[in-house]
Amino acid sequence: MAAAEVWKFAPAYELPSWPFEPPPDLGARERRRYPVVIAGGGLSGLTLACDLLLRGIEVVVLDEDDTVGVRGASSRGICYAQKSLEIFERLGIYEKIRAKGITWSVGRTFSGADEIYSFNLEDDSHSEQPPFINLQQFYLEWFLVERIRELDAKAIRWKNRVVRVEHGAELAVVVVETPAGGYTLEADWFVDATGANSRIRDALGLEAHPSRHTDRWCISDVRFKKPLPVERWTWIDAPFNEGRGVWQHLMADAVWRLDYQMDEHADPESISRPEVAGERLRAQLGPGVEFEFVWIGPYQYRDHLLETFRVGRTIFVGDAAHVVCPFGARGGNNGIQDAGNLGWKLALVLQGEASESLIDSYHAERHAAAVENLRVTSRTARFLAPRSAAEHRMRRAVVALARTHPFARRLANTGRMAQANDYPPSAWATAGARTVQNVAFDGVTLMRCLARGTRFLGLAVGADAGVLAELDGLAALFPIDFRRIDPQSPLTKHLGAAAGTLVIVRPDAYVAAALPAATLDTVAATLRAALGIDERAKLSTLA
Amino acid sequence: MKTDANIPDPDGFYEAWVAAHEGLSDAESADLDARLVLLLANQVGDQAVLLACIAAARAAAAMDRPGD
Repeated sequence: MAAAEVWKFAPAYELPSWPFEPPPDLGARERRRYPVVIAGGGLSGLTLACDLLLRGIEVVVLDEDDTVGVRGASSRGICYAQKSLEIFERLGIYEKIRAKGITWSVGRTFSGADEIYSFNLEDDSHSEQPPFINLQQFYLEWFLVERIRELDAKAIRWKNRVVRVEHGAELAVVVVETPAGGYTLEADWFVDATGANSRIRDALGLEAHPSRHTDRWCISDVRFKKPLPVERWTWIDAPFNEGRGVWQHLMADAVWRLDYQMDEHADPESISRPEVAGERLRAQLGPGVEFEFVWIGPYQYRDHLLETFRVGRTIFVGDAAHVVCPFGARGGNNGIQDAGNLGWKLALVLQGEASESLIDSYHAERHAAAVENLRVTSRTARFLAPRSAAEHRMRRAVVALARTHPFARRLANTGRMAQANDYPPSAWATAGARTVQNVAFDGVTLMRCLARGTRFLGLAVGADAGVLAELDGLAALFPIDFRRIDPQSPLTKHLGAAAGTLVIVRPDAYVAAALPAATLDTVAATLRAALGIDERAKLSTLA
Repeated sequence: MKTDANIPDPDGFYEAWVAAHEGLSDAESADLDARLVLLLANQVGDQAVLLACIAAARAAAAMDRPGD
């Protein structure tokens, strides 16, 4: 009999921490009012803070911890989608992410030993950023913190815990506890980014429609020397995991995330013991492959969706607002994209360029996105964890036909990777709003054009100097810049815009409208709607 | 969803369907029918028709079940 294997553990990640500094509000005679106060320094809170600082808005971030990541855990999110990467390009941390992370675009799905489905996300990609980069979440948070500290060294207040919030129609009053005592501040806008277990949300008694899933998984983050393709591999029914699902993905520092579906009745403590997890790895990697554990973590998942993302001057972003099943990277990316949707709106409202009603469009658009993401991920969850003999039979039929019939491959659902959600028609965008990728054109990129200030971009396809000069009159009245774009340019093709069209792109790289026969009146009306400005406002100056 | 006859040779189709199940266990038969559903669904290729067919099949199940 072979000697029992000895399971090795890598040293823990070394994460930075930042010192508590007594904030100026401690012991101040008068309460100060801030334009934006964000509770929670996770992905969505930090992205929003960074975005607002770049737009010239003062921000306070209250974080109860003094580091990044989740204590005692490894990384939560690992896959960052193109739209998120494009936001980070605008925020100035994309190159760090690219250098540290793992770029990938191919995914493969296996049943037993056979590949039954694959995709290559490069096929639909025209952006300067790749479809996906994998990176441990805490590295991303770390890069965001460093960038925020460059912009405003005092913006993040570590070891500052929100203990109570009074929610008013015109402001929020935030009571904060610190190691040096408590203080109170006021916020024109208060953002709850404190995550799935938000006490701020719960204290308001808001209905979040939580539901728990019985499906059970166990993550092993592992370093090993066996070279494997840098692709997303998923098994519906892996022979090396008793016929259950397995996920295989590479992260930074040569750490592989191997995620194993377990019997739903399994005991989480016993399945995560090193010797049990080690046997699973040995079965997958084969004999003789040296590996060391970085982290082992069993989990079940749940979902919830808040009915309204705004209550007065309080706004919910990220997991505090929505949690979906963990398939297809639709959690963290949507927290980041909540921030991308909200930042420019808050900035324009605070700068007096848009009406307060624009903040309601944040709910309209991001709630719709969350509904869609919940639907997509719930379908994956159902495929991965059949609940009856009939459902097992249906899945067996898909898998059996997928081996020989291409149509059935599209039914194998091990996750539909996160895409930037299109937004439904609304008062702010009558035809809905569609995302635009960060395409390079005329020696610039879309995100570079959108990185200066908080302005819309009017792309006039094939326009002459006269038309542009006329349009430029509007640039004095509304936060918009116009530029000519060639009918043959890659961005024009990506937009599908014909010559003579004026495409109005929002600061978050969504198309607000494509006007085939724009007049100054229709452009002004589109911008007023997109900014939530009253019909009469700015009309007199136009005439 | 078509409800009028559209199968050119109904008896021939039924005969072939029965023959395909010959010699199979109940479980194997059920698996065969599940594969058949997917193959036929892809021939139909019309989402509204597919959903109408699912609803019609489900409604028939409710009628078959006494007291449901």
